[in-house]
Amino acid sequence: MFYHISLEHEILLHPRYFGPQLLDIVKQKLYTEVEGTCTGKYGFVIAVTAIDSIGAGLIQPGQGFVVYPVKYKAIVFRPFKGEVLDAIVTQVNKVGMFAQIGPLSCFISHHSIPADMEFCPNVNPPCYKSKQEDNVIQEEDVIRLKIVGTRVDATGIFAIGTLMDDYLGLVTQ
Amino acid sequence: MADKTMPIFVPSEKPLKVVKWKVKQGVFVSQGQILFLYNDSSGTGTDIKKYKAVRAGTISSIKVKEGDIAEPGAPIAELEECRHPTVMKEMCAECGADLRTDEVTNRDVAVVPMVHSVPELKVSEELAQKLGREDADRLLKDRKLVLLVDLDQTLVHTTNDNIPPNLKGVLHFFLRGPGCPGRWCHTRLRPRTKEFLESASKNYELHVCTFGARQYAHAIADLLDPEKKYFSHRILSRDECFDARTKAANLKALFPCGDNMVCIIDDREDVWRHATNLIHVRPYSFFQSTGDINAPPPPENEKPKEKVTSVKNGAQVNQMPTLDAEPEQKDASKNKENKEEGGNGIIVAKDKEVKSSNTEEKPSEEADQEGDERIAAEAEPRWVETSDGQIEVEDPDDYLIYLEDILKRIHKHFYDNYDKMGKNQIPDLKSIIPEVKCEVLAGTSLVFSGLVPTHQRLETSRAYQVARSLGAEVTQDYSDKTTHLVAVRAGTAKVNASRKIGSDGKSNKLHVVTPDWLWTCAERWERVDERLYPLQRGGQSSSRRPPAHCSSPPPAPAPVAALRKRTPSGRFMDTINPLLSFSSDDIADMDREVEDIFNESDESSSDEEKPGDDDLDDEENPPEDRLISVSAENSMQDSLPDRLIQDSQEATNDSEMDDESRPRKRPRRSTPPSDDEPPDDDDSSWNLMGAALEKELLAQD
Repeated sequence: MFYHISLEHEILLHPRYFGPQLLDIVKQKLYTEVEGTCTGKYGFVIAVTAIDSIGAGLIQPGQGFVVYPVKYKAIVFRPFKGEVLDAIVTQVNKVGMFAQIGPLSCFISHHSIPADMEFCPNVNPPCYKSKQEDNVIQEEDVIRLKIVGTRVDATGIFAIGTLMDDYLGLVTQ
Repeated sequence: MADKTMPIFVPSEKPLKVVKWKVKQGVFVSQGQILFLYNDSSGTGTDIKKYKAVRAGTISSIKVKEGDIAEPGAPIAELEECRHPTVMKEMCAECGADLRTDEVTNRDVAVVPMVHSVPELKVSEELAQKLGREDADRLLKDRKLVLLVDLDQTLVHTTNDNIPPNLKGVLHFFLRGPGCPGRWCHTRLRPRTKEFLESASKNYELHVCTFGARQYAHAIADLLDPEKKYFSHRILSRDECFDARTKAANLKALFPCGDNMVCIIDDREDVWRHATNLIHVRPYSFFQSTGDINAPPPPENEKPKEKVTSVKNGAQVNQMPTLDAEPEQKDASKNKENKEEGGNGIIVAKDKEVKSSNTEEKPSEEADQEGDERIAAEAEPRWVETSDGQIEVEDPDDYLIYLEDILKRIHKHFYDNYDKMGKNQIPDLKSIIPEVKCEVLAGTSLVFSGLVPTHQRLETSRAYQVARSLGAEVTQDYSDKTTHLVAVRAGTAKVNASRKIGSDGKSNKLHVVTPDWLWTCAERWERVDERLYPLQRGGQSSSRRPPAHCSSPPPAPAPVAALRKRTPSGRFMDTINPLLSFSSDDIADMDREVEDIFNESDESSSDEEKPGDDDLDDEENPPEDRLISVSAENSMQDSLPDRLIQDSQEATNDSEMDDESRPRKRPRRSTPPSDDEPPDDDDSSWNLMGAALEKELLAQD
C-alpha cells in the first residue's frame, strides 16, 4: 500500500559545503540518502515530494560537521499481509517462482500455485503451465498475487505470496 | 503432513449450527481465513457469525455438515498444521509464518537449498527428494544427463590485468561489487565454446558450477548463453557454495536423490574431492600472466590481487602442473621455466603434425630450440595485427572437440546401460565414466622405460595409474602381450631389447613411443596414433611428468617440507622480520640447541617440523624445483612414499590454513611462514612473494 507521510531525517554535512549553496546541498543530500531506501516500519521510500522544514544546524563538537534535522513528505510503499498486488515474474524454478513488485521481491512456492499448473523446465524460459496449456506463467509475465507473509529486516522487506485465491494469477492485458 | 493434526472445537459454551462452510476438505487455509459461518442453534438464525482459522494449515476432515448442530466439546473439523516444507528467509513460503519467532522445532524441517542461485530458499528433505525424483524422471525421459560445467580455465579464461583493448575475441566487462570500486574483467572464451555448449546441451542439462563470485558467474553465463537456453538459472557460484574449498558439498543439496546422473567437467580435481564422475579437462589459458582468478582456496586476500607480474616471464604459470592450490605462481627465473617445460610443453614437443594445443605451449616449444631468445618469444605469442586494427591471436586450443566427443561417449554408454537394465534401475555415472575411460587403451599392454625411478614401485607411479585408468595393462618387463614401449629416451636396455624383439618378427606390433603419447591419450580419452610420437634416437623426451590435467590418481602436491624451507637471505622479507633474517646456519644452530634441550620430548613432533632435519626432509620429500632439476633420475611425485603422499595431500588442501595454525601448535618452529607463501620455494617466486608482502605492509601503513 502506498502512503504519503511526513518523515524526519538528519543530514550530516561536511564543513566544506558551508556557503551560499548550503541549503541546496542539504536538499540534494536528503534525496540521495532517503529515496530508494527501506525501513521496516514505513517500507520503501519511493519519492520525496516536499521538504517541509530544514531545522537549525547543530555543529558537532570536535569535528566541525553539522547536523540538520529535516522534515519532509514522501511517498512510501509498505506491503502488508493479505494485500493483493500486481507483480512481474523474475525467475521460475522447480520450487516456485520469484516476482518483483517494484522494489519488493516476493516468492511464491509451488504449493501456492494452483495445483493444475505444472512446472515445465524444458521450455525456454521455464514456466508453469496448466494442463490445457491455456494458462502459462513464465518470466516477465505480470501476475496478481496475494501477500501471505512479509519478512521485515532493518534494511529490506521480502514477501511470500500466493496465487491460491480467486482472481489471482496471470494478468492478461 | 500427518503428524500435527489439530481439531477445531465449538468456540462457545453453547451448541451451534453450522450455516455454511466456506472451505472444502483438503484445502489449504491461511491464518485468519473464514472457515465457516454459524449461529446459535437455539436462535432463529439472524445473528450469523464467522469462524476464522487460528492458524494456517490444511483442512483434513470436516465432521459437521452444513445445517447440522455441533455440541460443545465435539470437533467440527480437523486442521493439519503447516509443516513449513519450503522456507524462504526463515519464513514459511506456504503459510507465511515467521519461523524466527516460532518454536525451534519447526526450524529444522527445511534444510536443503535446492535452487542454485538462491541459497536462502530451502525445502524439506521430503520435498527435496520428491523434486529430485521428478528431475531424474524428466532427465531419463528426455534421455539427458546432468553436466556441471566449471568456468574458469575450463570454458573461459579471465584476467583483471591490463590488456590491449583491441584483442580479437576477448570480451570485456565491468564488475561492480558492493563495497568495492569494481574491476574490469577481460574474458576469452575457449575456442569452439559455443559449438561445445550447443552440442552438449543436446545430451546434457548444463549447470554452471564455479568458484567465481555470483556477479562474475552470472556475467560470464550471460556471455556464454545470452538467451539463457543452456544454463537458465542453474548457476552455482562461490556465494552459494557451502565450503570455500570444495564444490562437492553442494552436490547433495542440488541432487537430493543422488548424483548418479551427474557428470562434471573441471580443470581442478581437488575441488571435487577427486570424484570419479569428473572429467579432468586441460586447463585453458590465454592470458599468460594470469592463472585462475577464482582459484578455490582463497588466501586471506581477494582473488584479483594475487597476480602481480609482468607478462614477460610469467608465461608458463598456468600450465605448470601446480599440484597445490596456487596456480598463480610467478616465476621469473629462466631456469625454472626451462625445467617447467618438462611438464608442460610435452604435449606438443614431439609432435609437429598435431596442432600445438595452446598459445603457451607453442612458444615454449620454440623456445626450447632458441635457447635464450625464448623469453621474447613467449612475450608475444603470435599476436598478429589485422588491417582493421584488431589484434588477432592464434589460439590453437582444440580441446573442446575432444571433450565433446568424450561427453557423447559417456552419454551413449549410460543410456545403453540404462536400456539394458530393468525398469527403475539407473546406472551410476560414477562407475560409467571410469568404464568409458577404461576402454581407451583397453587391450594394450605397456612397458615403461625410464619413466619410473628404479627405487619406486611401478604400481605407485603416476604413469602407471594414468595408464591403468585408461584400461591399459602395465608390466614391469616384456611379455608376449606387450604392445607398447613407453620410453623417455633412446638407448635404455628396454629400448634396445625392443629392437631385438622387433627384428624377431614375433611381435611386430610393438610400438615404441614417448610418454607424450600416453599423456595425450589421457587427455583426449582416445588412442592416439602411435606414429605421431616416435621415440627419436638420442633425443631425450622431457615429458616424464604427466601434465597436471591427466592425472587420474590424486596428485601428490608440493611437499610440506618445501613450505618451511629456510629463507635464504637477501630478500625483502628478511629486512622486516628479524626472525626471518637469520641465515639458515643460524637457525640450524638454534635448532640444535633447542634440540639438545628437548632431546627426549622430541618424538611427538614429526620430522617435517624439525627444521634441523632439513636434509632428511629434502631427501624424502624434496621441494619441487630441486626435484625437477634432478629429475633425470627421479620423477617427482613418484618418489614420495605413500605416507608422505597422503600427508602432503592434506597439506596442499589446507596449506594456507595449516600454515596459520602451525606456529601456535608448534612453537618450536624457527621460521614463521608468511601467510601468502605459496608452497613453492623457487627463488623467483620468493622474490615475488617478498614484493607482495612488501606491498601489503606498505598498504597497512
